[in-house]
Amino acid sequence: MIPEQFFILSTLLFSIGLIGIVSRRNIFVVYLSIELMLSAVNLLLVTFSRLDQSMNGSVIALLLIAIIAAEASIFLAMIIQLYRSKRSLDSDKFSELTQKKGQQ
Amino acid sequence: MLENSIFAILSLFLVIGSLGMISFKHTIFSAFSFLIAMLALAGLFALLENSFLFLAQIMVSVGAVVVLGLMVIISLGSIEKNIPHEPYKFYWIFISTLLVTPLALLIYKALISLHAHFEETREGYGELKSMGERLFSEWVLPFEAVSVLLLSAMVGAIVIARKEKYFKKENYFDNHNQQEDNK
Repeated sequence: MIPEQFFILSTLLFSIGLIGIVSRRNIFVVYLSIELMLSAVNLLLVTFSRLDQSMNGSVIALLLIAIIAAEASIFLAMIIQLYRSKRSLDSDKFSELTQKKGQQ
Repeated sequence: MLENSIFAILSLFLVIGSLGMISFKHTIFSAFSFLIAMLALAGLFALLENSFLFLAQIMVSVGAVVVLGLMVIISLGSIEKNIPHEPYKFYWIFISTLLVTPLALLIYKALISLHAHFEETREGYGELKSMGERLFSEWVLPFEAVSVLLLSAMVGAIVIARKEKYFKKENYFDNHNQQEDNK
């Protein structure tokens, strides 16, 4: 078991999350991709903690897990609110804040 | 040798779960793939000898986040007409893979230039006791800040997801007056 394995895995997870955000339109997949990117950072923090032999990295990872939970609650509430106004889960339809007055 | 084979199995589950998450059409299958990926990630935390983080990952990411997400998906996203129509999904995934690859290579090169290697763990590393000591001595201010953040996230989620009509003042007074009339 060498650290490079964990570095490869963490980079791969972060890239997959970024690809999911860029390429999919389903708002749930975008949300899960954000979670995946945060989890990749978490894995990297724990790897560094194990390399450094101190618990500091693990404590940051624990706080990051709490932040993931907070983000989940806010994002799901936003999805419910957007679904109520547009009756769709397509993220392209949620672009009304970018439209100027008179368009659409 | 045993560690390497466990790592291989866990990372296989992790990568397959996350790839399934971005490629399934139906949202519920994406959520289940994400569940598999999070369980494998918890196993990796255990492999890195952080037993408390293993438990916290299973409790929070699997037990709370994914289950809450599944509840919302079952109520909104499982109907066919709600799911967006994406005919060129795999084409877009291919294009964005080409775009993301240089960034991934950059991150990996930066990480690999550390030339790090694992050593034998010290006494008490990864245990709950040392974690708690560290959390309540040096990291107590971030810990309290996270508690305030969680409280504000709770209030924010309630305010965002509520229905407007139940919270308007005039409606409240109307209902109140009606109730008093009924009395």
